Amino acid sequence: MKKQLITALLFCAVAGGIMSAAVLAEGKTFVYGTTGYGVQMGDEGLNPHNNYSGWSALRYGVGETLFKYNDNMELEPWLAADYEFVDDTTVKINLREGVTFSSGRAMDGEAVKECLDHLLAVHDRAPGDMKIESIEADEMSITIHTTEPCPAIINYLGDPYGAIIDMQYGTDGVEGDSAGTANVAGTGPYIATNVTETQIDLIKNENYWGGDVKVDNVIVKTFSDASSLAASLQTGYIQGTYGLSYDSYALFDGNPEYTINSCATSRCFFGQFNYDSEIVQDEAVRKAITMGIDREGFCTVLMEGRGIPAKAAFPSSFSYGNEAVTAPDYDPEGAKAILEEAGWIDTDGDGYREKDGQKLAVRWLTYPGRLEQPKLAEYAQATLKDIGIEVDVNNTEDHLSIAESGAYDIYVSSLTTAPTGDPEYFFTTCALENSAKNRSNHKIDAVEELYEKLHQEFDKTRRGEIAVQMQQAMLDESAIFFVSHLNMGIVTKANVTGMAAHPCDYYEITADLDVQ
Amino acid sequence: MSDIKRITVRRQKIRKNYIKTKLIFLVVLAAVLLAVAVFAKYLCPYDPYAQDLLQAQKPPGPAHILGTDRYGRDMLSRVIMGSTTSIFATLVLVAVVTVTGTIIGIICGWSGGKVDTVLMRISDLFLAFPSLVFALAVAGVLGGGVQNAIIALAAIGWPKFARLARGLTLAQKDSPYLMAARLSGSSTPRLLVKHILPNIAGPILVTAVLDIGTMMMELAGLSFLGLGVKPPMAEWGSMISDGRVMLQTAPWMVLAPGGAIFVTVMIFNLLGDTVRDYMDPKERSGR
Repeated sequence: MKKQLITALLFCAVAGGIMSAAVLAEGKTFVYGTTGYGVQMGDEGLNPHNNYSGWSALRYGVGETLFKYNDNMELEPWLAADYEFVDDTTVKINLREGVTFSSGRAMDGEAVKECLDHLLAVHDRAPGDMKIESIEADEMSITIHTTEPCPAIINYLGDPYGAIIDMQYGTDGVEGDSAGTANVAGTGPYIATNVTETQIDLIKNENYWGGDVKVDNVIVKTFSDASSLAASLQTGYIQGTYGLSYDSYALFDGNPEYTINSCATSRCFFGQFNYDSEIVQDEAVRKAITMGIDREGFCTVLMEGRGIPAKAAFPSSFSYGNEAVTAPDYDPEGAKAILEEAGWIDTDGDGYREKDGQKLAVRWLTYPGRLEQPKLAEYAQATLKDIGIEVDVNNTEDHLSIAESGAYDIYVSSLTTAPTGDPEYFFTTCALENSAKNRSNHKIDAVEELYEKLHQEFDKTRRGEIAVQMQQAMLDESAIFFVSHLNMGIVTKANVTGMAAHPCDYYEITADLDVQ
Repeated sequence: MSDIKRITVRRQKIRKNYIKTKLIFLVVLAAVLLAVAVFAKYLCPYDPYAQDLLQAQKPPGPAHILGTDRYGRDMLSRVIMGSTTSIFATLVLVAVVTVTGTIIGIICGWSGGKVDTVLMRISDLFLAFPSLVFALAVAGVLGGGVQNAIIALAAIGWPKFARLARGLTLAQKDSPYLMAARLSGSSTPRLLVKHILPNIAGPILVTAVLDIGTMMMELAGLSFLGLGVKPPMAEWGSMISDGRVMLQTAPWMVLAPGGAIFVTVMIFNLLGDTVRDYMDPKERSGR
C-alpha cells in the first residue's frame, strides 16, 4: 500500500512537472535574470502604488505610464495622447484611444482618475512630488489641479509609480488566481500569471494596444549574487541579465554568442559630509577629501570602464550635467597643501595627520547593495591615506539605522538623480534641509532659496540654469562630492533581440523583445 | 628472543622513527608558517596595502609571482600579510576555547553535582545549535572584525573541550595517586593544577592541535561572509570573498589565498594527527 502510494505520488510529481514544462514550452520563452527585483530593492511585486514596485511593473512590461522618456530623456506621450497646461495649477491630459487593461476593461478618464486617486492615497512619495489637489475625469481626458504650481508634474507622471492600472481589478490579484499577491492589471505587453518575491511569470498580452508581442512567455528570476547571474547566463539557464558585476563583463565582451547593450544613466555615486560630525565641519577636511578621490581611476579600472567620472549630480547628456559645473579635480598635492594650511600635520610620523591632538580619521558609511560602493570605499581608503587621512569603512546592510544615529562622517550612496528627466527630484530628495536623504544634516541657504525658484519655474532652460546654480552652491560648500555615473548594461544571448538598456533604467521587457 | 618477536620490535622501532621524523618535519613546517606570520611585514616584496591601478588584475608573472588584485595590490604580499591575521587569529581562538573549555570541564568533573549538571546542560545548549549558524548570529549581533569573529567562534567551540576535560577529570578523580595527594594535605587548587591538569593535558593538546585546521576554516568562512576583518586588512577568507566574483576572469585572486588556507590547514591537521600518533600509548609501548 505504502509503495503504491509513493509510486502514485512520484507519478503525479513527474506528470505535473512535464505538464508545467509543456505549458511554458508553448511558444517562445525568454528567461531573464536580474539583481534589480526583490525585497532588498524595495520593488517586490508589481503594484506601482507600493514603494518602488512600479519599477517592476514598468521594467517587465506589465504597466505603462501616461508619459515615457525617449533615449534623450525627453518626455513623450505614452498612454496619454497629449497635454496642455491650462494655467499654473491646472493641466489637462488627453488619453490615447483604444487602450485596454489586461483585465479587459477599457482605459478611460475614469479608470485613470481611480488609479491616480489611489496612488495619492497610499504612496509615500507621489503626493509630495505632484502636489495634486484634485482630478476630474471626462471620458477620454483628465484634468489635474495642483495645490501650487508644479511644473514637473508631467515628468512625475512618467515615474514608475505613475503606471496606470485597473483599480477595479485591484492590486492583490484575483482571489484563487495562481498570480497570488501584488499582481495588477496593467496595459502593457505582458500579463503576470505568477508573482512572488523572487520570480514573476508572464505571458503575452494578446490584446496589447501597441501591436504584436513576439515572445509568448517570460520568466523573471531574481539573483542576489552577481557571480551566479553570470554563470546562469553562461550555462543557458537564463537568456538575458540585468545587474551583472563589472568584473563579469570580460566573460561576454567580444564573444559572438552574447550581446552587450549599455547606455549612460543618471544613477550617480556620491558622498555627503555629515555636518553634525566635528571633524568634517572643517571645510579644509571636506575639500581635501573631495580632491583626494580619484574618480578617473575608479571609473576606468574598478568599474571596468562602465562608469563615467562625475562632477555633478547629472550626467553630461543633461544641459545641467557634468560640464555645467565646476568641481575640484583629483589633486593629492593640492589636498595636502590645503590640509597643511589648515594646521593638519603628521607630527608622529604614522602617515596620518593630526591637529590639536586629534587624528585626521573619518568614518565612511556605505552599503554593499550596490557593488561599486564597497570598491569605492576601499579605493578611497588608499588614495586618502596618501594625503594623510585615515578612513574607517563601515560597509553594512544596516546603513540606514547607522545613518539615523549619526555615527558617520561621510555617507556614500547612489541615486538615480533624474528619473523623471527633470532635476527637481534630486534636490527634493537629497539637498534640502528636510530632504529624506539629506545625510549632510545641513541647510545651505542658497540652495533653499534657489529651490523655491526652481519649484515655480515652468521654462525648461531656466530650470536647467537654476539646477546648475544649486549644484554649484553645494559643491562650493564642499558639502557633497560626486564620483561616478553608471553605465547600465543588459547582456543577452545573441539570439535575443529588441532588448536595450535605457537611460532612465525603466524599460527592459517590451513588445519588441524577441528570441530568434 | 624469537624471530617473530624480533621482527615485531624492529617494525615498531621503524614506525616509531617514522612518526618521530614526520613529527619533526611537520613541526618545522608549522614553525616556518609561524615565522612567516611573525615576520610578514619584512617578508612582503611589496606593500600589501599599496594600490596601483595601473597594475590591477595582472596575472602571475615575474614582477608579481601570484599576480595582483583589482586594486593592483601584490597578491603574494597580501597572502604573506594575511598569514599574520589568519594564523594568529586561529591560534588565539584555539587557545581561548581550549583554556576556557578545559577549566570548565575540570570544574565540572571535580565538583560534580549541581555545578556539573548546570554547566554541562549549558554546553549541551551550545552544542545543539548548528555551529556556523550560531557563529554567524553572534558575529552578526556583535558586528564585523577579527575580535568579534573570535568571540563568535569561541562561544561555540568551548563545549567540546569542556566535555573532554570533564571526562578525563572524572577518570583521574579516584586514582590512587590523587588519594595519596589528598592524604598528604594538598589543597584542591593544587590537586587540580599540579596533578589533574598535567595528566589530562595530552589528549587536550592533541585535540587542540587537531582543531587548528577546523578553526582556521571557520574563521575564514566568517570572513568570507563579510563578518571577519574590515577592509583593507589582508585576511585569507576575505581575500577569497573579494576575488570570488572574478573566479573566471582572474582566478589567481582566489587561488592564492585559497592555496594558503589549504596548505596551512593541511600542515596543522597532519601535525595534529602525528602528535596524536606520537602520544598514543600503543605507540609508546613500542618505544
